[in-house]
Amino acid sequence: MILITGGAYQGKTAFAAGLLGISPEDIADGRVCTPEEALSAGCINSFHALVRRLPEPVLFTEELCRRNAGAVVIMDEIGCGIVPMEKSERVWRENTGRCGCIIASRSDTVVRLVCGIPSVIKGELP
Amino acid sequence: MTILVTGGSKCGKSSFAERILEGFPGRKIYIATMQPFGEDAIEAIERHRRMRAGKGFETVERYTDMGSAVLPEGCAVLLECMGNLCANEMFSGEGCADPAERIITGIRSLAERTAELVIVTNQVGSDGIAYPEGTADYIRVLGLINAGISAFADSVIECVYGIPLVLKGDMPC
Repeated sequence: MILITGGAYQGKTAFAAGLLGISPEDIADGRVCTPEEALSAGCINSFHALVRRLPEPVLFTEELCRRNAGAVVIMDEIGCGIVPMEKSERVWRENTGRCGCIIASRSDTVVRLVCGIPSVIKGELP
Repeated sequence: MTILVTGGSKCGKSSFAERILEGFPGRKIYIATMQPFGEDAIEAIERHRRMRAGKGFETVERYTDMGSAVLPEGCAVLLECMGNLCANEMFSGEGCADPAERIITGIRSLAERTAELVIVTNQVGSDGIAYPEGTADYIRVLGLINAGISAFADSVIECVYGIPLVLKGDMPC
């Protein structure tokens, strides 16, 4: 598994397409895809958005790591702000953190992008 | 050694901070700064208690004024977390004129009186939202505190989805 993270609009998708050579048809969009599509896609983009739509995001993430262990997962880092007032927003933010930790721990490579600049923070690029 | 551990929400800061002190041979004091107000806080306190269970920490609840904390000689301290301490100093009780200065001075005093000091803090200034005055002030003060502690800390570590990154000094474990 490969995890690509960083804030919104930092060049994560372009990095995946460029350096990792992922084509658009291999990408499941976490904002709209079904959980089943995510379990078989070569790449899942906006995984943080899928986390918001799942009833049991932590269990799903563990299943994803088992069943789609070769996937490239792209997800935003969303936890570096003020704790939201709205309960559902807090739950989503915390779940995204937990799911991100699970994916990072199962990934051979983790890349973080800031201003389009990638830093490999775990493992090596394939 | 003074080690500052920062990062976003649920990014593995606490687990990492606990791991730093895993092999410490002396007494380990956990200074808990979260006040048990509200369902979320009570849940978080319970979750962290379970995480620490069996790891040899003595828990001390202390919400303000770290400079006056009484500690056994030669102990290690894990303080969690700065985000709550900052809010407590700013918004609870009588408040104080310069919370950043008071907190940084308190942390310096803890650093001088402990064999190891690990502080868990938070990154709160990166969501791009323009908040009302009180919250905006909190973001500013916590930023000042983080920068102030980083200036004298031996190591500063940022956790990104469970992965520790060295921002200053050496990887402590």
